[in-house]
Amino acid sequence: MRNLGKLFGRSPFEPLVEHARKVHECVKLIRPIADAVLLGDVDKLRELQHDMSKAEYEADLLKDRVRQSLPSKYFLSVDREDVVGFLRQMDRMADDAEDFAVVATFRQLELPEELREDFLALVDEVIRVSESLLDLAEHLAELQREAFVGPEADDVLMKIQMICQMEWETDKLSRKLARNFYAMDGLNPVTIMILEKLSGALRAIADHAENVGKNLRLMITRK
Amino acid sequence: MAWNIGANDVANAFGPSVGSGALTIRKAVVLAAICEFCGAFLVGRNVADTIKGGIISPEVFSGDVVVFGIGMVAALLAAALWLNIATYLSQPVSTTHAIIGAVIGFAVIRSGPGSVQWGKMGAIAASWVISPLVGGVLAYIVYRLIRRFVLQSRHPVYMAKAVVPITLGVVVCILSLSIIYKGLARYRLDLPLTTAVPVAILIGTFVTFAARLTIKARTASLRVRLGDRYDVVESWFGRMQWITACYMAFAHGANDVANAIGPLAGAVQVFRQQGAALAAKTAVPPWLLAFGGAGIVIGLGTYGYKVIEAVGKKITEITPTRGLSAEIGTATTVLICSKLGLPISTTFVLVGAVMGVGIARGFGALDLSVIKRIFASWLITIPVSAVFCAVIFHVLMYLRG
Repeated sequence: MRNLGKLFGRSPFEPLVEHARKVHECVKLIRPIADAVLLGDVDKLRELQHDMSKAEYEADLLKDRVRQSLPSKYFLSVDREDVVGFLRQMDRMADDAEDFAVVATFRQLELPEELREDFLALVDEVIRVSESLLDLAEHLAELQREAFVGPEADDVLMKIQMICQMEWETDKLSRKLARNFYAMDGLNPVTIMILEKLSGALRAIADHAENVGKNLRLMITRK
Repeated sequence: MAWNIGANDVANAFGPSVGSGALTIRKAVVLAAICEFCGAFLVGRNVADTIKGGIISPEVFSGDVVVFGIGMVAALLAAALWLNIATYLSQPVSTTHAIIGAVIGFAVIRSGPGSVQWGKMGAIAASWVISPLVGGVLAYIVYRLIRRFVLQSRHPVYMAKAVVPITLGVVVCILSLSIIYKGLARYRLDLPLTTAVPVAILIGTFVTFAARLTIKARTASLRVRLGDRYDVVESWFGRMQWITACYMAFAHGANDVANAIGPLAGAVQVFRQQGAALAAKTAVPPWLLAFGGAGIVIGLGTYGYKVIEAVGKKITEITPTRGLSAEIGTATTVLICSKLGLPISTTFVLVGAVMGVGIARGFGALDLSVIKRIFASWLITIPVSAVFCAVIFHVLMYLRG
């Protein structure tokens, strides 16, 4: 009888990490898009938006693959709900990144010099949040191997705290930017609307990243 | 039959150790051969007695012992036939269930359901359900303890070095207890409980201290980088995994040799006594145990090593800490059942033990539908091998005239 091998299902953790990588790929595209927005390069924006949609689509495919590796006949070492939540929040990060890319193509923006620095600072902070999150997600398979305890797990729990901190930083940067562009005289109202939408998408990415972190914390501490 | 056991079943005993990379195939085969043989020879008697004389009342056949002998041969053939068919269909079937189904089939067809000792049979059936659960609980406890005291501690490597010798001592203690308590009388291995327990504990303690000293001497100047700590812990458990694998093989040999030689023992007894009244209490002769053990070893050497390799490749998820927990849980359960004379399926206990480690968060994903398949195989195997046995029995009787 050689069926012992059949006892082991496909672990969801490796595909989960793969999905996280793809999501970060989407978020990373925001920086070149922001640069193109500031330069007013419409062609470049179209091209980047196309790249973004493609990456987001690929992330969706990976997401479906993880979902498929979660049939109810599998007994998992983490709560199924936590895996699903983790995946959902990750997916929303990619969705919001795509939103950002689409909104950026709506209209050529004329941003005054004073706003540019704040805008780029917000973009970079959001990408940093996503980067730190990917760093954690990369550890998932390893955490599983170590049965979710020990120094490695403690380290990840600490870094999750840091991501929450960073999310707060993006909130502050976004508020500062909003204060500046609403207070500015002579700014085109449509520009204000688009700026509001863009920073809204950025804030949402950081929000979801924080939620992913919290989901990871639940995976580690539950049970 | 013994060949079949050696070829297919031993893989499950050694699969985890090979899968975790703690043992090479070559070493695994040699160790498995030695331990299976020892288990079969030293502890195999109790279960063989059960299959020979515990399931059906031999008194029923005291009139025609030759028929009894033919029935036992038919049972062997039927079980072997069904096992080969099941293996061909790649269904999970236990040799234990097949042989017991066949023996029942013979008894019912020959002299009605009354000749089966249903009380005893009920106890055996209950042990089939209980033993995987016990294996699971034991494996869960062992893995939880490792997780709590080693993986979760501030100094995992230091703790691993302290825990490994203790685990080793406990394993050796249980092993030696199983050999010397009510063992083979011919070699004076039948000490009473009051002597056997202290002796076993003494041996275990000795092994613990010896292992501690060896580890200390070897690792005095070793420093471990922080990032490597987990791998070092696993490697420490990996180093003792060949011993738990031997423990598994020993327990497996002790329980499963009976599937091959239990019926044979009945038949041999008949042909020796040539018509003398069949005694229920005649012990299985040691040479027969050795014969069964040798059969298992030959099966292992001719085909079993391939299966070990295949199983080992499939279950790479089993790291030494997990493999060791599952092995200790399984082997202890199987050994206890062997001592009680209960014929159980080692594989199913191992499945239970792997589940136990899974509940302790050891594995990424376990496919629970395996449990369903196992229940289905229970339900099918027993009637099918019973019918096979009945048919073969009639054919043999017809040939005899």
